[in-house]
Amino acid sequence: MITKTFYKESKELWRDGRVRITFTIVVLLLGIAVWISARQYQNINEQHQIAQKAEREVWDNQGEKNPHSAAHYGTYAFKPKYPLSLVDQGVDKYVGTSIFLEAHKRNEAQFSAAADQTGLSRFGDLTPDFILLFIIPLLIILLGYNSFTKEREMGTLTLLKSQGIVPWKWALGKWTALFFPVLVITTLLFLITGIVLSNLKDFGVFHWGSLFSLFLVYIGYYIIFINIVLFISLKASKSGIALVLSLSVWILACLAAPKAASNIAETKYPYPTRQEFASNVLKDKQNGLDGHNPWSKESKMLEQEVLAEYGVDSIHKLPFNFDAYRMQKGEEHEAEIYFKHYNYLKEQYSKQSNLYQSLAIVSPYLPTRFLSMAIARTDYTAHWDFSDAAEDYRIATQKFLNTNFAENSSYGEWGYKADADFWEKLPDFDYTPPELNAILSTNASSLYILGAWIAISFGLFLITTKTI
Amino acid sequence: MITTDKLTKKFGDFTAVDNLDLSVKEGEILCLLGANGAGKSTTINMLLGFIKPTSGTAKINGLDVIKNNLKTKESITYIPENLMLYPSLTALENLDYFAGIAGKELSPQMLTDFLKEAGLQEEAFQKRISTFSKGMRQKVGIALALAKDTKVLLLDEPTSGLDPKASNEFGALLQKLKKKGVAILMATHDLFRAKEVATHIGIMKDGKLRQQFVAENISLSELETAYLDTMNYKEALS
Repeated sequence: MITKTFYKESKELWRDGRVRITFTIVVLLLGIAVWISARQYQNINEQHQIAQKAEREVWDNQGEKNPHSAAHYGTYAFKPKYPLSLVDQGVDKYVGTSIFLEAHKRNEAQFSAAADQTGLSRFGDLTPDFILLFIIPLLIILLGYNSFTKEREMGTLTLLKSQGIVPWKWALGKWTALFFPVLVITTLLFLITGIVLSNLKDFGVFHWGSLFSLFLVYIGYYIIFINIVLFISLKASKSGIALVLSLSVWILACLAAPKAASNIAETKYPYPTRQEFASNVLKDKQNGLDGHNPWSKESKMLEQEVLAEYGVDSIHKLPFNFDAYRMQKGEEHEAEIYFKHYNYLKEQYSKQSNLYQSLAIVSPYLPTRFLSMAIARTDYTAHWDFSDAAEDYRIATQKFLNTNFAENSSYGEWGYKADADFWEKLPDFDYTPPELNAILSTNASSLYILGAWIAISFGLFLITTKTI
Repeated sequence: MITTDKLTKKFGDFTAVDNLDLSVKEGEILCLLGANGAGKSTTINMLLGFIKPTSGTAKINGLDVIKNNLKTKESITYIPENLMLYPSLTALENLDYFAGIAGKELSPQMLTDFLKEAGLQEEAFQKRISTFSKGMRQKVGIALALAKDTKVLLLDEPTSGLDPKASNEFGALLQKLKKKGVAILMATHDLFRAKEVATHIGIMKDGKLRQQFVAENISLSELETAYLDTMNYKEALS
């Protein structure tokens, strides 16, 4: 009965001109979205590669220079473009692509794609994630809203019932018929994406495993929508009512709930403003060691400690340049301040994120979006991870420069210059994003919620078939 | 065969079917006549298990229709007044699906043969049902009965709205099924068609079977008189 109904429904769906047109439009949109994204990301990636190479060359060819001048001159850490950002660009567009690394200061990522766009960017981009998250659920509604109501309206249900249908088997036939085209579209999209990604040169490390995980997440999302749409169709008395109810669910789940969740999270756990943040950092900096100020109370204390440690009575007798040493200590103090304040931001983000995730029980869109961005490495967590790695590299760079300064010059020798080949000894910024397993483990709650959505909605659908 | 024993259905205070005793044996056609609301369709709905009786029993081939709902439906074909099929599927596809639902896996040749036997023109086999007249759809229903090798055929006003030719053809198909040993219960307003096809005729009023005849023992005019008397139409007319 399941197979028979599957074939019958599939034939009906395919012969319905409305469905054919919708299906074609969605496939076309997907194709265009993948093509646009692939070109866009390839361009961006090329730009990244060029900029990264050029920046390193500038760094390596500074010539003879004082290490601390080089520290102020700074360099850039470039955020890698992850292959799956082609499917879901997440917050990438808004968070910046590179971080300027300099002495005494932790900078935020800059040069975001959104900053380079005009006001027209408010209309959004045609990206695969837009099609996957918004359009395919709409397609499911269009294909399935009248799945059961039409049987009542046409009168075929009476004949079916007189033939002795087993309701759950018959309903499962309809379920598979609705799932099949969705599965075909999604498989097609991910297959094309996989082929495109595996053929792009220098596009980061691409793993089919990550792509497959992303595919499963979206399939789970669509199963939930199929269950909900068919449940509504079972309960509604007329097709028109079923359509309105299904669209209402779509609006609530995909449009209203994410925005409401965002507002609630931001209201409950607000971020400090940029001015507040900068002012708090400055305040803490003023209360500690300033590497550039040898006369401050903190500098004098450090001086006394170092003299006692080395058992000498003058900083001139130390086996290193105390100016550079103080500079390094100042860096370490400032790094701690930044760590503290950024950690506060991360905590706030984490609280917002947890609240957001707890609201995922009201909308399957939320856990899906979280998982999609996480697996694509385009969520805030991935950005924080990169930002922290860049900060670690900044701290290591400052230590590398200050150590050279301290070990190769004496106190007061501000005219010291490192050799021209010294800069090449600084290791490259080598950032590895979190592995898939780590990401899935971090986002386990979203996985559980998505799983619960699938199980409960399917259970509800199956139970409701008893009323046929 | 079809049997009911003191079959009763009440909707609140209203008694739709009242202590109905019926029996339709293999190769018999019982036509139930009666005005709207007489209880004919409710009886059929109870035989299909769509409605639970308030009291009494309805049996198909000796099996209680409520206790053995799926089992009894294996031998039933039901053709309502307006047999609705899937408009975007062809006659063959509809027959294949409904027979399949009933557990009959039939080859395309067999499906074609059943449609032929039901009197559908060959050029219509591959046409979508949306292009079919009511009479053509009823023939697909008969083909389904043939495909299912049905033992019990329940018909609810099947000739209503059919033109005389189609109605005549439908009557001939019922005779064919009768010869195959199918027990047929038909609810109708059409006295002429009832007299023509039935082996037995019953007249229902207010949920009760008021009169029952062996069809060959009564003429059409006698049937008409009995019907009008039962309905009290003569008094109303005079």
